[in-house]
Amino acid sequence: MSVRMQDLVLPILAVGAVAAVIRVWRGRAAKTPPGRLRGLAWCAALLAISVSVLSALYPLFARNNLQWWALLIPLAAAIVLVARPRPAERAVPVVLILYGLFGFMVARDYVGGGINTYGLTMVGNPDVEADFVLPQAYVFLLLGSWLYWSAEGTSARVRHVLGRLSDLQPRGQLLALMLLPAVVVAAAFATPDLWLGADAGVGWTLLLLAGTVVVLRKWPEFAARAATAGIVGLGLMGLALAAWAEGGGFDFARTPYGGILYGAVLVSTWHTADAAGVEGLALLALGVWLAPQTFPQVRRWLGMAPDAELLGRVQRLTESRAVAVDTASADLRRLERDLHDGAQARLVALGMNLRAAERLILTSPDAAIALVAEARETSARALTELRELVRGVLPPVLADRGLADAVRALALDCPLTVSTEIDLPGRLPAPIETACYFAVAEVLTNAAKHSGARDAQVWMSHAGGMLRIEVTDFGLGGADPACGSGLAGVEKRLATFDGILVVSSPIGGPTMIVMEVPCALSSRRISSC
Amino acid sequence: MRVVVAEDLFLLRDGLVRLLEAHEFEIAAAVADAPGLLQALVEERPDVAIVDVRLPPTFTDDGLRMALEARRAVPGLPVLVLSQYVEQLYARELLADRAGGVGYLLKDRVFNDDQFVDAVRTVAAGGTVMDSEVVAKLLGRRSREEPLARLSAREREVLGLMAEGRSNSAIAQRLFVTDKAVSKHSTSIFTKLDLAPSDDDNRRVLAVLTYLNG
Repeated sequence: MSVRMQDLVLPILAVGAVAAVIRVWRGRAAKTPPGRLRGLAWCAALLAISVSVLSALYPLFARNNLQWWALLIPLAAAIVLVARPRPAERAVPVVLILYGLFGFMVARDYVGGGINTYGLTMVGNPDVEADFVLPQAYVFLLLGSWLYWSAEGTSARVRHVLGRLSDLQPRGQLLALMLLPAVVVAAAFATPDLWLGADAGVGWTLLLLAGTVVVLRKWPEFAARAATAGIVGLGLMGLALAAWAEGGGFDFARTPYGGILYGAVLVSTWHTADAAGVEGLALLALGVWLAPQTFPQVRRWLGMAPDAELLGRVQRLTESRAVAVDTASADLRRLERDLHDGAQARLVALGMNLRAAERLILTSPDAAIALVAEARETSARALTELRELVRGVLPPVLADRGLADAVRALALDCPLTVSTEIDLPGRLPAPIETACYFAVAEVLTNAAKHSGARDAQVWMSHAGGMLRIEVTDFGLGGADPACGSGLAGVEKRLATFDGILVVSSPIGGPTMIVMEVPCALSSRRISSC
Repeated sequence: MRVVVAEDLFLLRDGLVRLLEAHEFEIAAAVADAPGLLQALVEERPDVAIVDVRLPPTFTDDGLRMALEARRAVPGLPVLVLSQYVEQLYARELLADRAGGVGYLLKDRVFNDDQFVDAVRTVAAGGTVMDSEVVAKLLGRRSREEPLARLSAREREVLGLMAEGRSNSAIAQRLFVTDKAVSKHSTSIFTKLDLAPSDDDNRRVLAVLTYLNG
């Protein structure tokens, strides 16, 4: 019983595929289900490509013509995949791109009669081949580009030649890259000579593609917009072309190649006009989907884009939130450090003193008494420090009575003579009370330190959902929030609550600082004793 | 001498009661919240009440407000307010009725039991005791204002110590001068502050009030 070499094709391919699957399954990169799926996809892609390439030269599917050595190519592909999966991952996209470009040559019959099949198509029937070869060429080209683009490891090298395109987000890059197929389709539509003509077209084709690449590298945002506009235009043209062709107003025989090249379709009959219509519809849909992503104007028309005011607000909120979070964490760290270095350390010393006193109490009572007295002093100092800390976190009067009395207490403690006029018939939200308290404290401290004033005034009132605080000192003036005073910090912290701070400080004084914070006043009355 | 103690933390309440008992005070009631304090003040009519500013139910300034309320009902009811912190604002509120018999001290002052017990007795006797922290803050800023500007530096010092509730002899000891010199200074202070001659204790209170209220 003789075994024909051809009968071994499928078993060998199967063995290679199984080996590849096992290799991929156990590989390091295949820990996750998506990783395994990807490995399998690569495996299948390599086998499919090798079979396709092979069948382009030898009719693999015409059984009688099979040459035994032709099996070496898929076998080699399987071995490469098993032994070196990563180079294979890089090779597959390149092979796909080359094979896609090769499709254009097959379509224009550039290579001559040596080609038997391209992809799934038997080449040989001049009326049919372009219809099926060109779509496949586009698919292979796009698939290859996409794989090359998304493959890990190649991206860094690709980025190197991308120019400004690499500044964009991946999605933006993809949008810009749409320009390439758009240009190919548009150029083929305008002058089929570029793809289907004789040798003269090749130079122009290369020039066109090179120009497109330059645009992509230098003006990627423009490229994305041009691609979108082009795709919409092409879609409309496709629909018009289909309508025109089916209306009978078009004589295909008079065109140079017996039809009009519209994307993947050579429109030469009713049926191909239908296909052009479908393709036009698909392109139009794609363009409409792309438009809001590339044109901000379209986003606004459709109501998808937030308006500028909203964007500004988002920006301010982002900034003020960052300030709030930073301030909060810095405050906590300071608190921790103060406790650690202050009260905690003193309590440790206290414990040690008391232990020493305990030892000495019978043998030398005098020394023990001295130690106990020292311990008492230490505890008093620890208490003082804790008191200062608490005052810095949440001043007691603020906690007890609210902002109005806390500011009155502040005015009393201030080295300046501060008069207050406060009209707050309720309590404010606690975070706003705290922020405003420390704002007034900072402003008064500034006034006491820098203004040279002896007197100051605090005026505070709530009306129309807005808390307004005015602090005036009768000093030298010339205060500027930009000059590193605490005012800039106060402004930032008030901004967390959408509050504002305005400084009026002419040279010679007086300095007036106005703060406004939108907030609601709760009806809970504070008792005034 | 009968005392009402109002303090919500058991450890501190217990410590205060033991300290006072050791100095032969009679504890009429030791309560843990503001309503309890009011009831004790009404029912026990103590010679002096020692009250923590922060008490239940709201844990804000209930103790202080209760003390002020009680003093509105019974003017001059002696109250010594204790707190973890002292605020000039609260000191002013306590002094506002100008009735004397009032004290405001940091809790730390309990560490020095002799001085603390003296303060309790001063308040019970209708005197005024302010924490040295309140007095120190005032010393800096009120000195250039009328009528205190009329006082000499030494007289201001004496007035400050009066505000802390110290007797003439305690002030003399502190300043290393004789009792006689102190009483000379205080007479001069009363004259400069336009306080008509009356009983010495009342004038002391008024002088302190002038000082504290600016």
